[in-house]
Order: sequence, then structure tokens, then C-alpha cells
Amino acid sequence: MADKDLQVEEKKEVQASGESTKNVPVFIPAVDIYESENSLTLLADMPGVPLGNVDIDLNADQLTIRGSVPQRPENSGKILFQEYCVGDYYRQFTLSNEIDREKIQASMKDGVLKLVLPKAEAAKPRKIAVTAS
Amino acid sequence: MAIIRYPNWLWPGYSSALDDFEKARRHMDRLFSAFTGSGAAPASSGVFPPLIVTEEGDTVIVEAEIPGIGAQDLDISVIGRTLTLSGQRKPDETSDVNFHRRERKWGSFRKALTLPEDVNPDAIKAECRDGVLKIVLPKAESAKPRKIAIANE
Repeated sequence: MADKDLQVEEKKEVQASGESTKNVPVFIPAVDIYESENSLTLLADMPGVPLGNVDIDLNADQLTIRGSVPQRPENSGKILFQEYCVGDYYRQFTLSNEIDREKIQASMKDGVLKLVLPKAEAAKPRKIAVTAS
Repeated sequence: MAIIRYPNWLWPGYSSALDDFEKARRHMDRLFSAFTGSGAAPASSGVFPPLIVTEEGDTVIVEAEIPGIGAQDLDISVIGRTLTLSGQRKPDETSDVNFHRRERKWGSFRKALTLPEDVNPDAIKAECRDGVLKIVLPKAESAKPRKIAIANE
């Protein structure tokens, strides 16, 4: 299972969605979204973003995830070799109405944001018992 | 790819053709970098994890973005001037779910890096915070710059 080699995934930059005031690149985080019987779970890779710098906004059915990386000190040494760029993260999703907005949970571990979006009662699958007459 | 340049006197036309190719390649690189912007990854070795190596005074600092990999899944070793990073990223434990998107990658990795200077192996420190690994490698005494006093006669 874990024998697969992990490949380098080049970070994708967000293409002009309202310019940022900070002069840092903005990347699209890679996400996993999976659905279980009771909830929808979203995982987003945002390395370098501390918990306090994550901004999750739900406006109507638009879910916006924003994560900003603390700025590096000005004179932080001489770069000898660089394979990636440090930048902020931004991604937007459209949610269906079936989410129970009050119960959304967010947590952050090792640079991975986890959002649990519970389904509203009406959207849960319902088993209908058939009674013999 | 290594391009071997033959001396001009062997094939007079050959080497200038290679020069033209080289010029064209550089021109294309510049063109593409204009499209991809400043955030495009600089020269990458293509091996996970991507690194940033900086030099700060008497230390060499190696940073890597490894989201979702905790300290327990990571192995760092230094032999001579070679720093080796290995570990694995496990898939999330899920059962009975349907995936809508699956962009995050998982698997194992092993990367070696040759350090620019000799380092003191006993003083290496590593920390993992918010998915970013930072290894601080103090230079060995022999690699530190030394001021040599000139004696007056």
C-alpha cells in the first residue's frame, strides 16, 4: 500500500481572482473531498499555514478557504537552492444546500486542514420500513 | 540532458547549430516563465519533497513542505555531507465513503541532498511545524571562515 513512490506535485498558482495586496504568490491547495452517510469531509494541504491564519468563509453556498503563510524575516540568509515557492492558499467551492451550516467543524494538523460538513437531516439517506399488511 | 559540444574544426556547421538550439531553448524558457508567473517552481530535482536550502551565518538550513507527515513518519540522517530524508505519507483512514475529489498524493519517499559544507552531526536540530520541516545544520569548525592575523615583524 505504501510502496508507491510519492511524486512531486508542482504547486498551482491561482490565476487572477482579485489581486492580493501582499506580493506573495497564491496557490491552489490540493484537496480530497469524500462523502459518508452523515457528512462531507474536505482535506486541504496547506503547509506552512498556522491554525490562526486559516480563514473559512461560508457565504450563501460559496465556501471559501484562505490560508496565509507568515512572512519570512527580511534577511533570512542566502538562498543556495530552491525547489518550491512559499505563498498563500486560496480555493472556493460551491456547496449544495444539504449541509448543516451550524455544525461545520474545522481542524488543522501538520499543515492539513480538515473540514467536516455534516449533512442536514433532510439530506440523510432514510431507510423506509415496509410493513406487511 | 548533457549536450556534448564537438570542437568546431570537426564539424564546422554542427556546433553553431547546437548553439542555435541552446538559444532557442533559453528563449522558450523565458517565454514560459512569463506565463507561469513568479510562483512557478524554480529548478526542481523532481524528487519529493521539494526543498529550500539557505545559508545563515554559520548554519545551513534545509526546509521542506511535507503536509500531513508527522515526525513519526519521517526519518532524517546525515552521513558525511549527504543528508537523507525518507518517510511516507499515509492515506487517510476512511471506510465506506465516496470520493468526490482526490488530489492529495500519498506514498513513500527518499531524497538525498549533498550539503554545501561539512556540518557538525551532533548539533543538528530538526523541527516540524504546520507541515513544514526545518532542519538546522551548524557548520563544522573546519568549514567556518577563519581570520588569519598577520604578524608584524
